[in-house]
Amino acid sequence: MNSLEAETRRVVSKLLEEKRVDGVIAPRRHQGCTGPHLFQRVEEVEKLVLTPKYPVANLCLLIQTKHPEAKLGVVVRGCDERAIRELGKLGQIDVEKLVLIGLACTEEEAVRCGCSQPYPSRVDIGVKVEGEKPDTKVAPIKEKNLLERLKFWSENFSKCIKCYGCREACPMCVCEECMLEKWFWVKGGEIPPEIPTFHLIRAYHMADKCTGCGECEAACPVGIPLTSLYLLILEDVKKLFGYEPGRDERISPLLTTLEEAPISE
Amino acid sequence: MTKEKEFKPKILVFCCNWCSYAAADLAGVSRLQMPPDFRVVRVMCSARVRPEYVIKAIARGVDGVMILGCHIGDCHYISGNHRTKKRFAVITKLLEHIGVNPKRVLVDWVSAAEGHRYQELVTNFVKTIKELGPNELGGLSS
Amino acid sequence: MNPGCNIDYNTVLTTCPYCGCGCGLQLHVLDGRVVGVTPPKEHPISRGSLCIKGWNAHVFIHSKDRLTKPLIRKGDKFVATSWGKALNLVVDNLKKIRDENGPDAVGVLASARCTNEENYLLSKFARVVLGTNNIDHCARLCHASTVVALGEVFGSGAMTNSPTEFEKSDCILVTGSNTLEQHPLIGATILKARDKGAKIIVVDPRKIMLARFADIYLQPKPGTDVAWINGFMNIILSENLHDKEFIEKRTEGFEELRETIKKYTPERVEKITGIPKNKLVEAAKMFGVAERAAIVYSMGITQHVTGVDNVRSIANLAMLTGNVGREGTGVNPLRGQNNVQGACDMGALPNVYTGYQKITDEKIVEKFEEAWQTKLPRNAGLTVVEMTEAAVEGRLKALYVVGENPMLSDPDINRVRKGLEKLDFLVVQDIFMSETAELADVVLPGASYAEKDGTFTATDRCVQRVRKAIEPIGDAKADWEIICAIAKGMGSHGFEYSSPKEVFEEIARLTPSYAGITYERLDKELRIPWPCPTRDHPGTPILHVERFTRGKGRFTPAEYREPAELPDDEYPFLLTTGRTLFHYHTGTMTRRTPKLVSEVETGYVELNGEDAKILGVKNNDLVVVTSRRGSIQVPVWVTDRVPRGVVFIPFHFAECAANVLTHAKLDPEAKIPEYKVCAVKIEKKNG
Repeated sequence: MNSLEAETRRVVSKLLEEKRVDGVIAPRRHQGCTGPHLFQRVEEVEKLVLTPKYPVANLCLLIQTKHPEAKLGVVVRGCDERAIRELGKLGQIDVEKLVLIGLACTEEEAVRCGCSQPYPSRVDIGVKVEGEKPDTKVAPIKEKNLLERLKFWSENFSKCIKCYGCREACPMCVCEECMLEKWFWVKGGEIPPEIPTFHLIRAYHMADKCTGCGECEAACPVGIPLTSLYLLILEDVKKLFGYEPGRDERISPLLTTLEEAPISE
Repeated sequence: MTKEKEFKPKILVFCCNWCSYAAADLAGVSRLQMPPDFRVVRVMCSARVRPEYVIKAIARGVDGVMILGCHIGDCHYISGNHRTKKRFAVITKLLEHIGVNPKRVLVDWVSAAEGHRYQELVTNFVKTIKELGPNELGGLSS
Repeated sequence: MNPGCNIDYNTVLTTCPYCGCGCGLQLHVLDGRVVGVTPPKEHPISRGSLCIKGWNAHVFIHSKDRLTKPLIRKGDKFVATSWGKALNLVVDNLKKIRDENGPDAVGVLASARCTNEENYLLSKFARVVLGTNNIDHCARLCHASTVVALGEVFGSGAMTNSPTEFEKSDCILVTGSNTLEQHPLIGATILKARDKGAKIIVVDPRKIMLARFADIYLQPKPGTDVAWINGFMNIILSENLHDKEFIEKRTEGFEELRETIKKYTPERVEKITGIPKNKLVEAAKMFGVAERAAIVYSMGITQHVTGVDNVRSIANLAMLTGNVGREGTGVNPLRGQNNVQGACDMGALPNVYTGYQKITDEKIVEKFEEAWQTKLPRNAGLTVVEMTEAAVEGRLKALYVVGENPMLSDPDINRVRKGLEKLDFLVVQDIFMSETAELADVVLPGASYAEKDGTFTATDRCVQRVRKAIEPIGDAKADWEIICAIAKGMGSHGFEYSSPKEVFEEIARLTPSYAGITYERLDKELRIPWPCPTRDHPGTPILHVERFTRGKGRFTPAEYREPAELPDDEYPFLLTTGRTLFHYHTGTMTRRTPKLVSEVETGYVELNGEDAKILGVKNNDLVVVTSRRGSIQVPVWVTDRVPRGVVFIPFHFAECAANVLTHAKLDPEAKIPEYKVCAVKIEKKNG
């Protein structure tokens, strides 16, 4: 048995037994498949698994909406913690009510996601591995010239069947009113949706929110390399504003707040 | 090469009511020469220009977009132009990533008294766009 | 349980209720409501993705339009009543009509949306309780041609391979299937195969989305498929690309085929279909040289008066090139609904019992008479469109419709209305007040896929579980319970089941291809492809590996025949009908899902740009489209997806129902209507 899973089950069972939380969110293997689940009873914990990974922030949000007083444990990888922190900043998740169980990703997992920080701020389970350099995943795209890039992205966007999977799977996409559904930006019922409008709008909205979990690309049925696009713009946001979503205490500089530092021309 | 019809670019210039639109007016009144290939859209503040407008314009085949606001520190609404600057810093980078020349979107600042500066900025932009040629995306969107 | 706040939360793994892809869905249930879905990452079909309908598959469950109480018609209105009263009315009427007019005066329409268990029970109901073989369902309208043709040529009427293998194909020929829009996850698999280097050939009268990704795209005139497929075979033979060994060892009837194919030269095919002959040659060669070539097809091939011939030709082409029985090859009909394959497998058909066991086989009939403890009728029953005719003529007097909406999905719906209104008694069991339910005498509220246990069978013959996540809404009951209640009310035995699992066990006992499947196995193995004859048999992902089900594959040549109604001077446009990605069939579920409605709110007619200019219409203008059957008003969508002279209307929208226009002329063998070709005229709407 996978020792990381065994360890996680131990920790989660303890939390439940000691009644420190009302439930713990983690993936569960059930009825032949896996999916995110809220474990509330110790007997269930034997079905807890760690792979394949699923975004857990979505489930936190769902449960907190209906049960704001619940104290929830969450098994978080690096990307999950960043998403939760970012959602906390935006007032969508009550981070105080969460007990985070930090899980470090393995070497293969880090490589597969091309992740630069495959560990949460505090690691309770597993061993921290060094992430990939942020450039590894996107280097081949950066090497293309303008015309090659245009061809590459246009071809990819032309495969889009508007499933909105990227949005549904994304832990950061919580807006009740989504710009992608507004007819004046993107005409309804047209596939592929207007190129590059649909994906460029999404990428812009993700520029200050994306935590690099890769779930968008995993959910895309036609394999558009979305994570690469978002990683590219995240790099620029970091260079321009010194801002990294999920890793920063500040609100995104692209959002308007009352306390704004003066900027120069 | 000269067989091609001369490229008449489609250019949008968003001007904010308090500064750049007044400058545009001043340039007109002062009979300053400017190329004809652009359309001015007046907005109350440059921050009114949502990035989505610019994305859509580029997607529909507009060859260049300028957003002209007040100088930093002079915005009629205090910090509108701050937002414009930040937003379009990101948008131009995004466009570059997907293969659209970032020079096609330009943000700059003009005060109400700077008729000449307005003329200069617009004339240079039209020249740049003419050199870049037609928007490559225009042919792609159906 | 933990103290503090008790959170009523669970996740349930089930199967998507929309199309035949059969994607896995995990439903999130919070406080008694289904609030979201997550696609499992290891599910072989969905692999962590879904289409827009799948991501919203939970929304319609809690729609306020759900039927929650049994309804009885009183004049123009419906009055809510108790189950006792409603069931008594149903029982009394069905009994009376059956006893006074004979069992064949009653018919049953089963449901390709309901579970296998429920379709089996409906088949048993028709035969045991009513004493008739008048049971059919909407498979008649979509893949009846496939079931008949492949049943004849191969011995088994089902998809031979699975979409999970397409990534191993070298060439995929897609025809009559707008795969990216109608079977999105299967379309996605084809794109992935293309990324891996597979050659894609698309043959479709409309320039569908997949055509943009094809290596070769051919645009034949609608209804000319036998011609171009025979043309392919002609070229493959003359280029010596046929698989001689396969033909020799595994087939019979080759000489007869060769004689017919000789006549379909590229020149002749160009005359008939409009496909330029050099392109035809290029495509045929591309298909012929491939090591592993798969053919994928759907309604464009089946919904014709020559539907059976079309499918036969596809099967011929596959056998000619040895592309049957190996991974990444095969004849792959994409079944439309979540459980249309299952409904057929369960014998909800007028000429077979479960597993396609024929009612004309005396031994089979005896087996079922023994199992069901009753004498069974021997004459074949009526098919769907025949039931409409029988109703109009007064031969059919009562109809029990479960989860079907013939008032929108059948051809020539003005005639359907005539038939249904003439019936003495119509009982409709559904989850929403459909257009058919509006005409009923009694309406019974059934349960959605999230409110009952059971199984669905996807297009690749894989049986998957459907699991109950919440209790039926309001007073609605699971459909299997309702069917059993009516059966018991009519005095029949053999309908005492305590769970769908028991029903499935009975199905397994009577059906060799399902015999080895159990709920326990499905819990562990997720999807089991039939035939699965024993408990330790893993299931059969690829059919006809060593031998065809009938032994040798039989080449059955077909000659090109014209569609039943072609354009003429009075009706100069050719109308072809179909679906859109964003809605499903008669829209009962999708039109109650806001995110889908915001994409496509109402119907449209796809009109070629040149034709639009001549008619003087622009995008969104209203036009009146008229056929010999009726007339509708519908907004225009100017697009080059359709060639000149051809228009397309999706059939989901009651306010501009495409099927007002279609005709009910049938393929003589499969009795499937020609939805894909009829003649219309178009006028701009004034005022």
